[in-house]
Amino acid sequence: MQLRLMKWVSLLMVLSLLLAACAGASVPAAPAASSDAAQPAAGGAAAALTGSSADRAVEAAKPYAGITLNVTWESGLQAQDPLLFSGPKWEELTGIKINVVEVSFPELYSKAVAEHLVGTGAYDVINYSPAWTGDLAESGVLEPLDEYITKYGAELDDVLPTYRGLMYWKGVNYGLFDDGDTFVMYYRKDWFDDQANQDEFKAKFGHDLVVPTTWQEWDEACQFFTEKLSADGSYGCGIQRAEGQAYLWFMDHFRANGGKFFDDAMGATINDEIGVQSLTEMVNSNQFMPPGIEKWGFIEILSAWMDGKLGMIITWPPIGRWSAGYGTDTEQLSWVPKNQIAGKVGYAVPPGGHPELAGGFNLGVSADSQNKDAAYLFVQWLQSPEISAERVKLQYALRDPYREAHFNDEGYKSLWPEAPQYLETLRKGAETGVHDLGIPGAREYEEALDRAVTSAYAGGDPQEALDKAAAEWNAITERIGMDVQKTAYDEWVSSRAPNVYPE
Amino acid sequence: MAFPNVTINKRTTFSQSRRSQWWEHNLRYVFVLPTVLMILGLSLFPLLYSLWVSFLQWDLQRPQTRFIGFKNYADVLRDVRMWEALGHTLFIIVVAVAVELLLGLLLAQTLSGNLPGKRFIMPLLLLPVVMAPLIVGYTWRMLWDTQYGPINQVLGWLIGRPVELVWLANPRTVYPAILITEIWQWTPFMFLILLAGLAAVNPELYEAAAMDGASAWQLFRQITLPLVWPVMALAILFRALDVFKIFDIIFSLTGGGPGSQTETASLYVYILGFKNFRLGYTAAMAYLLIILVSVVITLLWRQLGREQTR
Repeated sequence: MQLRLMKWVSLLMVLSLLLAACAGASVPAAPAASSDAAQPAAGGAAAALTGSSADRAVEAAKPYAGITLNVTWESGLQAQDPLLFSGPKWEELTGIKINVVEVSFPELYSKAVAEHLVGTGAYDVINYSPAWTGDLAESGVLEPLDEYITKYGAELDDVLPTYRGLMYWKGVNYGLFDDGDTFVMYYRKDWFDDQANQDEFKAKFGHDLVVPTTWQEWDEACQFFTEKLSADGSYGCGIQRAEGQAYLWFMDHFRANGGKFFDDAMGATINDEIGVQSLTEMVNSNQFMPPGIEKWGFIEILSAWMDGKLGMIITWPPIGRWSAGYGTDTEQLSWVPKNQIAGKVGYAVPPGGHPELAGGFNLGVSADSQNKDAAYLFVQWLQSPEISAERVKLQYALRDPYREAHFNDEGYKSLWPEAPQYLETLRKGAETGVHDLGIPGAREYEEALDRAVTSAYAGGDPQEALDKAAAEWNAITERIGMDVQKTAYDEWVSSRAPNVYPE
Repeated sequence: MAFPNVTINKRTTFSQSRRSQWWEHNLRYVFVLPTVLMILGLSLFPLLYSLWVSFLQWDLQRPQTRFIGFKNYADVLRDVRMWEALGHTLFIIVVAVAVELLLGLLLAQTLSGNLPGKRFIMPLLLLPVVMAPLIVGYTWRMLWDTQYGPINQVLGWLIGRPVELVWLANPRTVYPAILITEIWQWTPFMFLILLAGLAAVNPELYEAAAMDGASAWQLFRQITLPLVWPVMALAILFRALDVFKIFDIIFSLTGGGPGSQTETASLYVYILGFKNFRLGYTAAMAYLLIILVSVVITLLWRQLGREQTR
């Protein structure tokens, strides 16, 4: 009897261990409604397309109440929006819980791909940079959204034309655009308006001190302020030069100077005369920036700028809001250095006139999601005119205006005295800006370029650095496939014109 | 393993009796089975699977996954960036392990006696080892900061004028910065192992040699070194293997920059595998590195063994 009992106990133990090892994460049961986008829900599209896109999304999502959507979002401030505002609000309206999976910016790509490769279905909604659309679409990570858009009626008409194209790959929509990133030049109005500065500058350079529209004017103004103020710890200008994102400032500088990434035969041309000239200009500019600028990232620039130690910076839109003191008293922004510059900041399109539309975000649906309809509906609701208008005004969040309505929003314009000029500058930047390279392998091309740029900052020869990067670019093109890349590049250039190469 | 003494009912049929015997004989294996399956699943399967992957063209950027034989291996051997990364890694191994050994030995020698305050010094010395290398890297990144870092500040006080060295972006200073960080963290490990080795040396040997008039150098050269050598060889091997995998400190301090001047083999493998998703190629590179390390370590071990025999 004892032996028999032992047998059963041991068998049960082994089985339970095996079951525990094999059991996957429990997947919530799909609601009764169809999750197949190709099959319109009962009632048909016509019945669904009443009210606003946000209302439609909420109504269509209600049958999914009780499920949880796993949503990737860039960690830190970006994630405060779904954690504190949109996630709870969506749950209140629909009963669908939002689980925010916070990951660093580069991991938004790598984690989405890794989960797709093993088919876990871990994510339902994917935040991604529009520059990765080609990669994510070609590798099957993203669900095509056209049928969902038709079925549930997203409102995309007033997304600025510059940004609208970023939602598509080979004519198919893979994500709704959600963040109007563009580089903006911020400058100290009080420094530029000061009569003593004006007179001294004119005496030194022979012409007026103006808000720079060319890189030469930028360098002169930067040199002037640095020479005058560096003894007190202030400098004329600062731009993020640390590895990782340094290539972004090369990409707009290069194209504003007339450069192109590839020739007609798809050979890399970043190392041509314009490339070398652009990189040389950037290296030369560094000498007027704070010591150690080669390792300055976003935080270092932000800290020095908010502390009043820099005369000009070129960076993303949120710094403009914080410079005016908007939101800096919230708990989420308590880490931002104390604002010494509110009311003293001017906004302008960066020198060259064609700022990098650096980054941005699309909201896509994972092809492996078990709840694609619900995931799409959350995306449509987030990006709808009324909800997005609230989200771009959240004090602590980082989403930037991208709809006509956002730029014309009287509520936004009244948030601080200079808000109308700020919005106007963002709009100009969006209209004249240039997109990140958006072909398959974009991240590999950018990484090679980043290494070339930082190598030149460290004292390397710009020509040599760019030659090496160009050789790597050609190897990447060769590996992925010359014809594939040529087709993708040609389509990218033609579909995004004039925001690829300024005319 | 002892089992309870079980009495089998005489009325039990022959087949029941055989089943009971089977259970009695194999119960131990049933208990062990889950662990064995887990070990196979977690280590052997990935190892064999990655070997298979290394023969595939499996690349996120290329739609078809197909068998390509040894092409990935041939491509890795022609990859200039891989050889550069390997060169950077070997340089760090040679310098860091040598300095760590020297400093570790000095510390162990110093603290092997009855030094006052030894009880307090020892735990303090061991603190860096228990810190996560990533935390160490980010902490030192702040220390090396050009404008706000205390290292430039202290140097400035010493020489009487501001120091604005861009430690982590200057090709001339970036390696010293990496090496100092690495050595700061891992010297205590070397020290601990060597201290254990020194403690095992019979003090009577020193007393006898001292009575014969041996100098301090002779004591070290003729007694300490030969007796501690087996432990020292092991410590060198451990550290060399560990530094070969160096990733966290490079990742947090320089990200492999400026350019790719401090990119190590592990960092390069990470970039290829987890950023660019060139899975077949990365697997082939990982296997080649394993082969290389195994060969080098075997040769080194034999050499160290010969030294010991002498």
